[in-house]
Amino acid sequence: MLSTLFGTSSVPLLEQVVNFTEARHGVLAGNIANLDTPGYTTRDLSPELFQQKLREAVEASRAPSMSTYGYGNYGNNMSQSADSVSRVDRNFAAFDHVKDSYNSILRHDGVDVSMENQVNQMVKNQQEHNMAVGILSNQFRLLRAAISERAA
Amino acid sequence: MLTSFDISTSALVAQRTRLNAISSNIANMSTTRNERGEAEPYTPRYVTFQTDTNITSSGGGSGVKIGSVDLSTAEPNMKYEPGHPDANANGYVAYPNVDMTTEFVDALEASRSYEANVGVIEVSKNLVENTLRIIA
Repeated sequence: MLSTLFGTSSVPLLEQVVNFTEARHGVLAGNIANLDTPGYTTRDLSPELFQQKLREAVEASRAPSMSTYGYGNYGNNMSQSADSVSRVDRNFAAFDHVKDSYNSILRHDGVDVSMENQVNQMVKNQQEHNMAVGILSNQFRLLRAAISERAA
Repeated sequence: MLTSFDISTSALVAQRTRLNAISSNIANMSTTRNERGEAEPYTPRYVTFQTDTNITSSGGGSGVKIGSVDLSTAEPNMKYEPGHPDANANGYVAYPNVDMTTEFVDALEASRSYEANVGVIEVSKNLVENTLRIIA
């Protein structure tokens, strides 16, 4: 029941965005910490690859869920019970594969690397994080308003 | 929207490179020998900027990159110091033609430009944060 409550909104998607921006922030912080380390090559996570994986996950989650992907009884029982249900029966486990995109760390060849560029990437990453967290908290605020039957 | 960060960052990198060249010029203003130890005065370096069309915003703004680092063509300053080990046959020593006033004014300008670009980044950040306040 809770998975439908949280799953039908953009919560799982935003969760992945927050996960990615946090992981990328860690990598960028490591770069700044190692600015003077001899032989260190700058690392980064590819936002493009992440966006691509996220898009694929969104497409997959809209397709009727397969028993191999489904969340426990949610995926197994409901997808087999009726075709009409599969319209709302989304495949949320598809988002699990998004994290594959940030297991692959890119290494720059050391040409265009500077503190300014790293901080720039960090600021943009932070903006994305703030946006996702902002929208997430707004979603939960709306949920709380619905539960308490009070205007938020 | 986020390309404005890239444009300002390109300017930060460019101004820092310029400041590096200026500090090199000031540090070597009395250098009379080259890296091999031969008597040859240091030649001042000057950084030239160039618009970088790889970084462009939708409004037509473009970033900046280092076009070239050129060596000064000015003749060295000749000082009469017969006892100096690097003096020529006539007793003159060639000193780098570094004008400290010019270098300092350039350094000040580079540092102010850097600050200005940091200011622009702050403004861009504010802009994004305010947009965020609407949607979240």
